[in-house]
Amino acid sequence: MGSSSKSADAQPLGDLAETLGRLLKNTVFRLSLVGALLFGGSLLVAQLIVYDRIVSAEIRRIDDGLRSDLIELQSLFEKGGDRVFQEAKRIGALPIDTPETSPLAQPYFDQGARETVERVVTLRDLSDDTYSMFVFKGRKSGKLVTEEIAALGMDAPSLAGFVSRGLIRERAIATVSDIETDRTEERRVQVLGLVIYEDEVRVGILFVGRDIETIMRTGERMRSAMTTSSFIALFLGILSSIFVARRFARRVDILNKLATDVQAGHLDRRAPRTYSEDEMDRLAEHLNGMLDHIDRLMQAMRYAGDSVAHDLRTPLTRLRTRLETAAVEAGDSPEGDVLYAAAGDADELLSTFDSVLRIARLEAGERRELLKPLDPKPILDDLAELYEPACEDAGLSFTYDIESGLTIMADRGLLSQAVSNLVENAIKYAGGGGGSRIHLSAQKGQRGRVRIFVVDDGPGIPVFDRERVRERFVRLDKSRTLPGSGLGLALVDAIADLHQAELILDDGLGSDAVLAGHDDHDGRPGLKVELVFPRAKSVKTDDSPSDGRKGGSA
Amino acid sequence: MRILVVEDDEVAAEYVKKGLSEAGHVVDLATDGDTALEMAQAADYDALILDRMLPKRDGLQVLMDLREGGDATPVLILSALGETDHKVEGLRAGGDDYLAKPYSFMELLARVEAIGRRSDPTAAVTKLKVGDLEMDLLARTVHRGGQKVLLQPREFRLLECLMRNAGRVVTRTMLLEKVWDYHFDPQTNVIDVHISRLRGKIDKEFGTPLLHTVRGAGYRLQP
Repeated sequence: MGSSSKSADAQPLGDLAETLGRLLKNTVFRLSLVGALLFGGSLLVAQLIVYDRIVSAEIRRIDDGLRSDLIELQSLFEKGGDRVFQEAKRIGALPIDTPETSPLAQPYFDQGARETVERVVTLRDLSDDTYSMFVFKGRKSGKLVTEEIAALGMDAPSLAGFVSRGLIRERAIATVSDIETDRTEERRVQVLGLVIYEDEVRVGILFVGRDIETIMRTGERMRSAMTTSSFIALFLGILSSIFVARRFARRVDILNKLATDVQAGHLDRRAPRTYSEDEMDRLAEHLNGMLDHIDRLMQAMRYAGDSVAHDLRTPLTRLRTRLETAAVEAGDSPEGDVLYAAAGDADELLSTFDSVLRIARLEAGERRELLKPLDPKPILDDLAELYEPACEDAGLSFTYDIESGLTIMADRGLLSQAVSNLVENAIKYAGGGGGSRIHLSAQKGQRGRVRIFVVDDGPGIPVFDRERVRERFVRLDKSRTLPGSGLGLALVDAIADLHQAELILDDGLGSDAVLAGHDDHDGRPGLKVELVFPRAKSVKTDDSPSDGRKGGSA
Repeated sequence: MRILVVEDDEVAAEYVKKGLSEAGHVVDLATDGDTALEMAQAADYDALILDRMLPKRDGLQVLMDLREGGDATPVLILSALGETDHKVEGLRAGGDDYLAKPYSFMELLARVEAIGRRSDPTAAVTKLKVGDLEMDLLARTVHRGGQKVLLQPREFRLLECLMRNAGRVVTRTMLLEKVWDYHFDPQTNVIDVHISRLRGKIDKEFGTPLLHTVRGAGYRLQP
């Protein structure tokens, strides 16, 4: 229990990473993510166009207005110096009630300076770097105190953007004070400057400005709205990608599960149909058709296999019976010995044939549904008890240590057969090859796996032969003289496959001695054949073997 | 015993008949399912040997029809389909034992005699006795000639199986199935080793051997 709660703690993080990994591997998710990105991108482009049409066009319009103001003021200025401003007042560009203390630097009063500064006219004297500024407040009268002229501070209009005979385009910050509330406010001003010449001598720059704070704020609000909406669109896009991907993945998962089930031998499984005739439904239809076909073929093959088995076994059984009958009749004579030997040969032939059929059936995975969670201990104890005396008789010491409380998904009969084959191989090859020890062990492996292995100190199997010996009818040269069909390990391999267990061949008990250069093993590395069972899915253990026998241990 | 052999392979059927007759049984033959059912229902047999694959009516069907009609005759099923699941199917359909082809005749004989004996009322005994060898099934003790013999639990079961079939041959496969519940044939002589240990305990120190080896077949416990 302790371990399971621990794993539950680590679950959310692992789950998240796993979910993300799965999502990124999901084709549909990737495709719809690209779609969402494209959609977010086009939304941004569309908004940029709107922005350009509204804000940039307004700024351009203001520029145009400034330009015409500038041209107008320039012409007035050229006509007659300070009369310019008289004229400006006359045409209503300047408030009429402006006190005129200076023609160029004329502070004028405004009762409502908090009103938006609409137009600013500035003259910059090139010689002493001083500014003169006029603020036009449209039709409203306004006031700008002299100190604030500097504060209005044409810090931005400079000669940096100076263009010969051209216009200087700048953006300035104007600090505007409200004398009533004593509140200052910074407002952005779009400024257009023009160099003024008098007798071909530059005397100053005439700046015309216009408050653009309002439109700039509008622009900023639009930009922030654009960013926010793009992010929201992207977020929604990702969400919908996940949704679509999961929906789709669920249908794909059903098909994947089907394929796994079929691989596991459940040939009767079929994909669920929605009859919507969409591509997934058609895929399911085709898969089902294919499975029907495979099922028919399998049945035909199985029937053929069974018939061949039946047809071949019948004459073989007859042959065996005849030999046996003759052997019994011949009794304890030399002929009898020959006949018994012949019957034994027939048995061997039949058992080989039987093994081949068994392996074929195992490989078809027919019996996978028979697997259930069980504790291997009673099964292995029984086997140990069965083989211990035989080992002793063969001059081998047989030891075993089997952990209790293990759980594997297995079939008792098949597990017994596999381990029995391994022990018999060890008796045959280790015993025949000068070995003296056989050990059977079952232990907890990593991550809930269970390792069951038989290890000996016999001659072992060279590394390059270890893959080959799992195949059917493969016998190594050394073992040709010993009885056997070369099917033992192939059968174990097939049983392991059925249990989704791993069959591992490794050096056995002698390996350390061989590595250390000791002579007592005559270079025999021994052999370790290991079955690694995957973690049993069900936690519930069926403790008793299928027949309820527990058998005392030796 | 009166035995009905149902087998579509006539040559094999003749051999089985010959062998069983020589062993002292009365044998009738049927070669298809319909005939087999008729014969089995008409006469009172002590045991039936029934092939699974039969013309006209499948062996399992014959068995099920028999059992449905209330016939409890012991049935030994024969089949080329030697897999455990087929075995389970056969036993579930009402078979008493199952033998996969190819079988040795001795195996067949031993098994059919074993199931034929099942209908005996002695099945529920608490004590078994062969010669001077006595087994108390409740106290789980064994005595020979009044002298206590100490057995491991498995040896006890092995001896019990032999004693229940005293006088008849018990094959290695039968022992493996009944004592160890293994349905595969080991390549090595594991059973022989266990028998020889058992022999060492029940026979060695006593004059007359009880546990005999039957060549080509198995073992027989006999005074």
